Amino acid sequence: MNDEIKADKILDLKDLPCPIPVVKISKGIKEVQIGQVVEAHTTDPGSLTDFPAWARITGNEILKTEKGDKVFKFYIRRVK
Amino acid sequence: MQTLYYVILVPMTYLAFAVFFIGTGLRLFTIYRTPKYPAALQIFPEKHPGRLWAIHDALLLPTIRKHNPLLWVFLMLFHIGFFPLIIGHIELFREFGIFQIIPHEVFPGRGFVGLILCLSLLFFLGRRFFSPVREISTPGDYFLLILLFLAALFGSQMDWARRWYGYDALLVENYRDYLLSLLYLKPELNFAVLNSGHAFMLVLHVFFANLFLMIFPFSKLMHAFTSVAMNKLRRG
Amino acid sequence: MDQNIRNDLLKLFRENLSRAMKLYLETCSRCGLCVQACHVHASMPQLRYIAAYRAEIIRKIYQKYFKAQGSFFPRLSEAKELNDDALQELYEVAFSCTGCRRCMVYCPHGIDTEMLMSMAKLLLVGARREPEMLSLLADTSIEKGKSLALFKKDFLTGIKSLESRVIEKWKCPAGQAPIPVDVQGADILYVPLSGARSIIPAAAIFNAAGRNWTLSFFEAVNFGAFLGDPARTRLILERIIDEARRLKVKKVVACECGTAFRVMKQLSGKQPFEVVSIVQEMARYLREGLIRVNRSRCNGPITYHDPCQIARNGGVIDEPREILRHLAQDFREMSPDPAYNWCCGGGGGLVAMGEDTLDFRMKSARVKVDQILATGAKIVVTACENCHTQLSDLNDHYKMGVEIRLLSSMVADALVGPEETASTNPEKQTLRETTRIPA
Ligand code: SF4
Ligand code: SF4
Repeated sequence: MNDEIKADKILDLKDLPCPIPVVKISKGIKEVQIGQVVEAHTTDPGSLTDFPAWARITGNEILKTEKGDKVFKFYIRRVK
Repeated sequence: MQTLYYVILVPMTYLAFAVFFIGTGLRLFTIYRTPKYPAALQIFPEKHPGRLWAIHDALLLPTIRKHNPLLWVFLMLFHIGFFPLIIGHIELFREFGIFQIIPHEVFPGRGFVGLILCLSLLFFLGRRFFSPVREISTPGDYFLLILLFLAALFGSQMDWARRWYGYDALLVENYRDYLLSLLYLKPELNFAVLNSGHAFMLVLHVFFANLFLMIFPFSKLMHAFTSVAMNKLRRG
Repeated sequence: MDQNIRNDLLKLFRENLSRAMKLYLETCSRCGLCVQACHVHASMPQLRYIAAYRAEIIRKIYQKYFKAQGSFFPRLSEAKELNDDALQELYEVAFSCTGCRRCMVYCPHGIDTEMLMSMAKLLLVGARREPEMLSLLADTSIEKGKSLALFKKDFLTGIKSLESRVIEKWKCPAGQAPIPVDVQGADILYVPLSGARSIIPAAAIFNAAGRNWTLSFFEAVNFGAFLGDPARTRLILERIIDEARRLKVKKVVACECGTAFRVMKQLSGKQPFEVVSIVQEMARYLREGLIRVNRSRCNGPITYHDPCQIARNGGVIDEPREILRHLAQDFREMSPDPAYNWCCGGGGGLVAMGEDTLDFRMKSARVKVDQILATGAKIVVTACENCHTQLSDLNDHYKMGVEIRLLSSMVADALVGPEETASTNPEKQTLRETTRIPA
């Protein structure tokens, strides 16, 4: 599936306590150029709601969410 | 000089008392008019009844006893010293039988109360010059202690002179005449109060004490009236 | 600083002055007793980490603008102008204070430095100088609540994915949802964090105890409180209150998060439900025999770190010890006693600011490390996610070689059915004999 969206940066946010995934994605997104894509891996189901809410607040775009068995993958494009 | 003495002993004294009572009243009023904080502020573990423990905390300063015993000794001496002091001043108006439960000459404490107060004040002042208390002190903290020290020193001087050196040109009767005349709003300064060799001590004592009374409501001295309430917040 | 901005900030200041705050602002006698109280100062003896010094900055601004003395004799109290430098100072003192309120234990007047720091934080929010990350987290949290409809499906998917792991810990009867959501008329509304760790063990425990419970859509942690912003604190809190009222629950159980528990308990006001911590619930289940645990599952010396917001500031002190009496064979109390427990150094939003504060958090909590090591415990249990994260960081940084655990996961891992030999009634002697270690 990765063939459609190519990530410029991969963030491993697995097994991190609340609210560190959101903290790290906020930092991580600033490390890529506008228009580039970050791929974030989380294990916490909380991120399924945290990330979309975070994206709305920060104005970034979640291109796709893959809900695997254990790991969730987010493809996020830096817009601002 | 006589005019200056008069100004200090009469108008300034009236003013000082007015400022003290009105100021303290207003200050408490403005604080208590402010809405309460909506949540509990207590800390745990708790002990019941909170009200009594709050009084206990405010009067016996258990946390200071535990963490700074030397300071606690001086603080207790100092604060307890205020009781005989206040009784002594009341007796300068009139003797009350009840105070004579422990028989004493006016002023109670044979001069040692004043001495203890002065020494404690010197201790408080001294520790303000050392780290870390120095760094958190403001100029006002020093002035307040100096002011109190001066008031206490000149007040005690008069007591010491009578008690320890047999000085008899300025006696309890003379103070009593002066103070009662103030109380009955017919201020009158008798000869001893104005002209005896120690009159200047009286005037200085009254001057500093008046300043103290006037500053009281606007300073951290208000803790005398607020500490129980604050400890109540902590005790819940 | 622009005069308009200053006026706005002063307005904010005035509007948020409570009676307690005024008492605290006007009464400090600068006795210096609180110098020894603060873990930050104890670990790094710098002036600005003294509780009274922190408070003085806000107090001096108060003197300048709200007190006659400050305008007539500004030098006496060193009244301070509210400008950019002052804001910078406020930032430094307020966001290095974890709000543990240990200083309140020492102060002869009981001055609450945390509350004065919350005023500092409020001014920083007003001036838009608050930590960006906390602000973002608070807004994200609020957004999640506002657009619940949008996120509901994903939320439910996420919860579903946890079910098998709950069942691993405790099999619930067929037909019963391992993690019930949105149950009208449930007895308990459990408010978790946005993380599996706070959901799975709790779910297993509620199921084992046979409770009629439901999971909240919202997360318990209140980033508004970390931020010191009363408006956002309320927004985040209120939707939980609304949910509890809508579902008509009798009890709201806060997960292991100190701030969440304290905010919910103390700021909810009078409600038809009561607020308790999961720690209190677990203790009750054990006490009443609703759940049983196997004590042999945890070996080695154990100590308990009291999260400040749950113990000193929330009053839950005996319950965790009661639970550990069921679990631990060798429980060791930290010295000298819970009232003087050192803060882990991660409160006040410092942990939530992540790596930015890591260096400070490690340096400022040295005394906590010493306090833990002195017990000789190999397992450090706590009941707050925030403390857990900070203690884990300390463990790595200082190579403490201990294991950091959350109380709920300890209980969930030790759950046993009635058929197994369980220790529901530990011998009363254990606490006496093993808790008091020589200082
Ligand atoms: S202990 Fe209390 S009164 Fe003393 S300096 Fe600290 S805050 Fe002020
Ligand atoms: S609340 Fe805690 S961190 Fe803040 S000043 Fe007091 S002791 Fe220090």
